[in-house]
Amino acid sequence: MSNFTTDGKICIERELEVSKSEIEFDNLIQRYNITEICNWIKEHNFSKVCLQFPDELIGVSAAIYQEIKKNINVDLYILGDTSYASCCVDSVAAMHVQSDAVIHFGHSCFTKTNIPVYTVLPKKDLSIDAIELFLQGHFKPDDTKLCLFYDAEYEHCKDNIMAMWFRHYPQALMGHLEMNECLNRFLGRTVKNEAGDEFTMESLRDCICIYIGSKGQTVFNFSISVPALKWFLLDPDEKKLEHLEETIWFRRRRFLIEKCKDANVIGILVCKLAGEQTKQIIKRMKQICKINGKKSYIVSVGKPNVAKLANFPEIDIYVMIACPENDLYNNRDFYRPIIYPFELEVALNSNREQYYNYHVTDYDDLLPGKRHHLEIDHIKQETDISLITGKIRETKIQSNEEGGMEVAEKQNWALESIGQNLQDRSWKGLEQKLGETDVKNVEEGRKGIPLQYSNEPE
Amino acid sequence: MVNFTVDEIRGMMDKKRNIRNMSVIAHVDHGKSTLTDSLVSKAGIIAGARAGETRFTDTRKDEQDRCITIKSTAISMFFELEEKDLVFISNPDQREKNEKGFLINLIDSPGHVDFSSEVTAALRVTDGALVVVDCVSGVCVQTETVLRQAIAERIKPILFMNKMDRALLELQLEAEELYQTFQRIVENVNVIIATYNDDGGPMGEVRVDPSKGSVGFGSGLHGWAFTLKQFSEMYADKFKIDLVKLMNRLWGENFFNAKTKKWAKQKDADNKRSFCMYVLDPIYKVFDAIMNFRKEEIDGLLKKIGVTIKHEDSDKDGKALLKVVMRSWLPAGEALLQMIAIHLPSPVVAQKYRMEMLYEGPHDDEAAMGIKNCDPEAPLMMYVSKMVPTSDKGRFYAFGRVFSGKVVTGQKARIMGPNFQPGKKEDLYEKTIQRTILMMGRYVEAIEDVPSGNICGLVGVDQFLVKTGTITTFKNAHNMKVMKFSVSPVVRVAVEPKNPADLPKLVEGLKRLAKSDPMVQCINEESGEHIVAGAGELHLEICLKDLEEDHACIPIKKSDPVVSYRETVNEESNQMCLSKSPNKHNRLFMKATPMPEGLPEDIDEGKVNPRDDFKTRARYLGEKYEYDVTEARKIWCFGPESTGPNILVDCSKGVQYLNEIKDSVVAGFQWAAKEGVMAEENLRGVRFNIYDVTLHTDAIHRGGGQIIPTTRRCLYACLLTASPRLMEPVYLCEIQCPEVAVGGIYGVLNRRRGHVFEESQVAGTPMFVVKAYLPVNESFGFTADLRSNTGGQAFPQCVFDHWQILPGDPSEPGSKPYAVVQETRKRKGLKEGLPDLTQYLDKL
Repeated sequence: MSNFTTDGKICIERELEVSKSEIEFDNLIQRYNITEICNWIKEHNFSKVCLQFPDELIGVSAAIYQEIKKNINVDLYILGDTSYASCCVDSVAAMHVQSDAVIHFGHSCFTKTNIPVYTVLPKKDLSIDAIELFLQGHFKPDDTKLCLFYDAEYEHCKDNIMAMWFRHYPQALMGHLEMNECLNRFLGRTVKNEAGDEFTMESLRDCICIYIGSKGQTVFNFSISVPALKWFLLDPDEKKLEHLEETIWFRRRRFLIEKCKDANVIGILVCKLAGEQTKQIIKRMKQICKINGKKSYIVSVGKPNVAKLANFPEIDIYVMIACPENDLYNNRDFYRPIIYPFELEVALNSNREQYYNYHVTDYDDLLPGKRHHLEIDHIKQETDISLITGKIRETKIQSNEEGGMEVAEKQNWALESIGQNLQDRSWKGLEQKLGETDVKNVEEGRKGIPLQYSNEPE
Repeated sequence: MVNFTVDEIRGMMDKKRNIRNMSVIAHVDHGKSTLTDSLVSKAGIIAGARAGETRFTDTRKDEQDRCITIKSTAISMFFELEEKDLVFISNPDQREKNEKGFLINLIDSPGHVDFSSEVTAALRVTDGALVVVDCVSGVCVQTETVLRQAIAERIKPILFMNKMDRALLELQLEAEELYQTFQRIVENVNVIIATYNDDGGPMGEVRVDPSKGSVGFGSGLHGWAFTLKQFSEMYADKFKIDLVKLMNRLWGENFFNAKTKKWAKQKDADNKRSFCMYVLDPIYKVFDAIMNFRKEEIDGLLKKIGVTIKHEDSDKDGKALLKVVMRSWLPAGEALLQMIAIHLPSPVVAQKYRMEMLYEGPHDDEAAMGIKNCDPEAPLMMYVSKMVPTSDKGRFYAFGRVFSGKVVTGQKARIMGPNFQPGKKEDLYEKTIQRTILMMGRYVEAIEDVPSGNICGLVGVDQFLVKTGTITTFKNAHNMKVMKFSVSPVVRVAVEPKNPADLPKLVEGLKRLAKSDPMVQCINEESGEHIVAGAGELHLEICLKDLEEDHACIPIKKSDPVVSYRETVNEESNQMCLSKSPNKHNRLFMKATPMPEGLPEDIDEGKVNPRDDFKTRARYLGEKYEYDVTEARKIWCFGPESTGPNILVDCSKGVQYLNEIKDSVVAGFQWAAKEGVMAEENLRGVRFNIYDVTLHTDAIHRGGGQIIPTTRRCLYACLLTASPRLMEPVYLCEIQCPEVAVGGIYGVLNRRRGHVFEESQVAGTPMFVVKAYLPVNESFGFTADLRSNTGGQAFPQCVFDHWQILPGDPSEPGSKPYAVVQETRKRKGLKEGLPDLTQYLDKL
């Protein structure tokens, strides 16, 4: 954000960047599937429907609204400025108007919701011929197993991609976009072969995977959570093939897992709208912390930023419950690191393998009955060395049977541990310091406006 | 045949005045382990004939293979002293009445400088030190280092001149020459002692003196040794002269004229130095006769010195015979035992003056008094100085010394780690001691309990301590002081498993390695890399080998050795740096300046530290570093980790609510001091001044969230505007070599950015000592390089000495520091390129 200024000249002359949204009203109907939307609404007999737009599409929202209104008579609401991320369906906002369904525009993360959703994907042109040449130049059909993924932007030309792909690589697999929840769906995709048989993501272990799309959180999530032989990103705009290797990233995450083991106080940062899974995962995180003798606090501060989270200096590490497309996990400006729920599980759930070579970005998978769910066992009290601090770390479990220490002393300890953080502060806020502060003459305070007070250095 | 039993040893443990806890210290290859064998064989643990070759205290296979001690090893032995020798012990606290037996707890320590942390750990639990000097090479660098350490810990030294066989057989020194050599060594040692010990201090005079019997001579390899006491005993009857008087006569400027039977203080034509005449001559004669195979002369001599050759040795001749003869004439074990029993202090004596060096708490509490009086009835105070691996993988014996009270199997005790603070519960565990054990070199023996003044091992406390700690039964006990090492872990290697899936095993192995060595650091870095840091290349080599073979048991990939850098600044910030909080309502105005030379070191050494009284500290800083005293009183904190060599000073005047944001600013400072702006390395030697602060009047708008990140940004801006620089660690390198090789040394040092600052000849020898500073980063492969350039004649010894600015501007592409910064950023997964000042600096 640019700074405030009193200089009017700057205000007038400052050029504002207005991102030119693709307001091409002519092909609006085709581009945003207006006809299909209308049919869908009619089919389900919805009376109140919300249209959710990401910031960059707010410009066309009115036009789309009118276009739909023209076709059918339903109550329509436009939702913008979503609470957390525009890729997720803002079901809470939709519930405020008691709407029956949401039409979601723009980039989507395909996570489960409890309200009927019609997803309108962004569309981007793709030169199939260029891709074809590119693929043939780098991959041979008789090579190792191959699997092709494409970005949601190219869903509209999926059939062309498919035809091209299976023409050259008949033995290969392809990841199809899958809007509806089903058994083998993973990050909104199901893997099928030419005949349409479904495969699990685990079967990609010996596959070379290629993703058509641009660099970003989506392909990153694929490359870290799908255990393939290799991941390649084929960027049609940049016209280049990139080998994605995240060993450095994994190394850093393992460090954070150790950090989590060291932590005494864990903040459960809620950055996701209330939903059944969200509640469940929060409960689960709390339970894991408790079993390991770590204190946990639920922190809900809207969209988190550095300043908000630094207000809780006592928290050692945050576990963020958020959409997997959230990029704050890798932000290093935060005073305390932020980890994924999966990482908290690796750190503190003794049933989980300490070593993993793929990540679980979607916490949904950790819940009971899901792919990566593991029971939480009661752990035994033990000590080991933290390689980060070089100190002994102990899993402290509250148990009542511990004897030996005198009761009085134990009470002291209890009192102390409550106020430990407060004690470490030099400013506690309530001390009067009677007689400790000198009597001083009244002085003139500062003058001016907050922009620059008169007594501040230039 | 071991000639004592565990019960006997246990019995002796109660006779605290008859205990001697001692370490054997010396320069590498001066023969500590070999000499120790003499005592071990006297105790019957190994056969006499194998003494000197067994190196019983080198328990590891690699120690035996390389002929170098790596770990210090403890052994308890029981001896009896003869009645005639007991009279030499005059101090009533040095011996129990009517007790001839002595319990000697001996720790053999490594001599290579890379392992000097083992020496430190050994010294802590002992009261006396046997300093071994190779009489051919004389007092070497490491001799001085360990001796200095010993005296700083209030350990009383005695001296042993080793390798006399070499002096006689290889160098063929004349008697007078040999005397001069001895004399010089004694002098050198006493000079070092005098430098570091105050004769008027609590330890009193600790000089070594041959005429008092505190200097021994001999050959560990051949198993013979003597002090002047042995020779005086031979002559005392004959001369009808008092033993003590004669000992005085046998050393120094005392000459005897055999014709006139007169003593003189000066050399003249007819007299001869008494030491040569009465001590060296007989030895020379025996050597001469045997090595020249003069059979008849040998028989005569043997009769004279009262040695009868056993039947099985009768067909030996030459060196083998010489060994047998010398060993039975002047048995090394006997001479050493007497030196130890008579001249080294008992725990009762030593703990009186060592208490104040050992205990952190008040010097008059129960624990302190218990230590001072070495009282087995007082509360237990035990210091664990190191962890010794057991045959059970991953478990360790906690090895240490009981200073007060009694440690008993099954006893419940408080285990306090180095971070324990009285009244808090951090690093404090109350656990049962599963077993107490006696450490006997490669064997251990379970034992019921161990009273004060003894060294022992514990089972069952290893999980609660990383490397060292205090064990006590006294509820209000403070910690025993942590050891200060003379070396630092500045050489680093990144390790990873060859098979990535073995990572958990590697991590487990690193944890074990961290325990097993007093010095090594195993670090999981922010980037996720696993780093092993050691004192030098050899130390690291051994650690990595242990890690691979014993601790992790998996194949490991190692990076090339690297050093860690520090970030610092060269000048004061060229502008007042302002950063605004995210809500723009709080503003910090600060500057960074470099600390004056010497201050970071003072902070490292604890001469200036956060626990000082702020007024005293301010006065010190004012006097020594010309800091403004009012400002110096307002040092808010040190960092990183609240103790590091960077400070944050409040130079502001009359800022409202300033005390409220102090904690937040300090948190931001700790953050920035740990992860500097250039490459997220620790800062060093930077002083940050807060000049002004504008705060929102509403407390909620000046909370930690607004202040902590802003402080960090502001400090980063300060660093970037103050000519940031990198610092690299530098070794002090001492090289001993003959004159011809000196030229070669200069060549090698020049190529490695080293510079020589001292070159001197070792008095009385053709050897030169070259002292140089050598960047640690350039030291990899230095030893081999030096050897090949000097025909194997130069032997370097490198110890971390100081941090030094790496020449060049890290913000200038093409400079060396720039390359280092970029490489580090890449390794840590940070954005490559240079940090951008505009990101941190705001405008009003």
